[in-house]
Amino acid sequence: MSNRLDMSVQIGKLHMKNPVTVASGTFGHGKEMVDFYDISRLGAITIKGVSLQPWLGNPYPRTVETPSGMLNAIGLQNEGLDSLLNEKLPWLAGFPDLPVIVNIVGHSIEEYAAVARALEGHPGVCALEINISCPNVKSGCIAFGSTPEGASQVVKAVRAETSHTLITKLSPNVTSVPEIAVACVEAGSDAISLINTLVGTAIDPWKRKFRLANITGGLSGPAIKPIALRMVYETAKAVNVPIIGMGGISNAIDAVEFLLAGATAVAIGTANFINPMAAEEIIDGIEKYLSDTNTNSVKEIIGQCS
Amino acid sequence: MKGVYNCELVERKQMGPGALKFVLRSPEISKSVSPGQFVNVKVSKGSDPLLRRPFSIHWVDRQNGLFGILFVLVGRGTSILSDYKVGDSVDLIGPLGKGFDIGDDPDTRHLLVAGGCGAAPIHFLCQSICDKFGCGTANVLLGARNSDAVLCETEFGGYGVNVDIATDDGSYGFHGTVVDLLSNKLAEGGKVRVYSCGPNAMLRAVSNACETADVESCQISLENNMSCGFGVCLGCVQKIKVGDGWEHRCVCKDGPVFEANEVIW
Repeated sequence: MSNRLDMSVQIGKLHMKNPVTVASGTFGHGKEMVDFYDISRLGAITIKGVSLQPWLGNPYPRTVETPSGMLNAIGLQNEGLDSLLNEKLPWLAGFPDLPVIVNIVGHSIEEYAAVARALEGHPGVCALEINISCPNVKSGCIAFGSTPEGASQVVKAVRAETSHTLITKLSPNVTSVPEIAVACVEAGSDAISLINTLVGTAIDPWKRKFRLANITGGLSGPAIKPIALRMVYETAKAVNVPIIGMGGISNAIDAVEFLLAGATAVAIGTANFINPMAAEEIIDGIEKYLSDTNTNSVKEIIGQCS
Repeated sequence: MKGVYNCELVERKQMGPGALKFVLRSPEISKSVSPGQFVNVKVSKGSDPLLRRPFSIHWVDRQNGLFGILFVLVGRGTSILSDYKVGDSVDLIGPLGKGFDIGDDPDTRHLLVAGGCGAAPIHFLCQSICDKFGCGTANVLLGARNSDAVLCETEFGGYGVNVDIATDDGSYGFHGTVVDLLSNKLAEGGKVRVYSCGPNAMLRAVSNACETADVESCQISLENNMSCGFGVCLGCVQKIKVGDGWEHRCVCKDGPVFEANEVIW
């Protein structure tokens, strides 16, 4: 690839050498992926959501395949803050060129704030992503992300505890995503990421049973891309902060479409499950797209769709 | 080390009604794979069906860089896979998961219990036990609905391993379950390891039978639905005893083989 291509983007204080990260919960904290490629190639890694205490998550079955997509109801199973601080972040320190975005979750505003407080000033963390959009946890999360007021409360509480770049991850399961995005930015969010999964269900007609123990789950994969693209476009028009776009991105051309819709960066999610090298291939593919279209900088295409 | 490979389909062989064996070329996988591990196959080029399908390693020829999978046509994924022709390339990730532990004691008896398509990993396990301790230490117990569904009898027999068969309808071998056969074998006593793969109901019965007998180890291979196969989606979890409590562990990464007495059903 040509050296004169500028792939870098800026999300608040977070400098990304290319516009590609991974969606929280689709990449662990990177350890399972290092056999496949050098994860330092990512513009940033967004790690699995972390809560104050360990969460066991939802009962099995948790996932089901659907046409060009899948439903999941994992329920944010994670080993909690202590494991993040004592095991995961020290391991990630072995990748000095890889910015780390920590996705944070909570049952209450206090829990979000406590995780942010514990990570304040941590040199191994480049940004926090507030997850107020997980559809699979009974209390907290989506309960806050469903209204501008709820979202604003969580963002304000976390903002008060952190000087890290703050990203808020929004749900598509609302009447107006842009309205909630505006509330998050006013409350102090430096960037917006979207979309989280769309709530759906699946039924086994022969057993007459729901296929997920949780009954409902979040739809992801190529099936949701058109919806995600539209929501990124509408939100980019409504706010003047960077957007990390995601939802069904499987290849570099999908990623370029999100940039054209107004995203400053993109996150690769479900595609990691099928092709663990997807994010690396997408980085190379975006470079090739820029080169093929005589574009010098990825920043030149952000929002450039008429 | 696990990786994504495009493996040439070298041979396809009918193993019974609706059962196929694929021989695939991969020096990398055949060199490093251990019994109980699996590969995750992308059966279609496009996005539907979207997810990979896991298949246990059934057989290995390390010298020639070959390995086999054995599958029964049960759904869309296996149906698409069954259309692959010799010479086609199969996109797969492997080797994945944590397999069976056969120990180091030459005096241990190994009881290998398979139900239906559960014979797939049991065959590779049997190969490994034969190589390490000699086939005389192993006894394979095959269970199936009926005589048509009995898999790999001739392959096991070919090694000179003692094979006992049970069918639900009595159309072949012992009329009853493979767990009945197992209970009889366990009653003989001695140092015994039990390994099992098959439907969950059978695995639970195997676990119960082993709990009352004094076995060195009872290892069962689970088949929970997976989305990634390498431990990042957390979809395929099983409740596993940890200390006084339990945790959700990934069948794909922490298993698929678990000690039976650690599994909470």
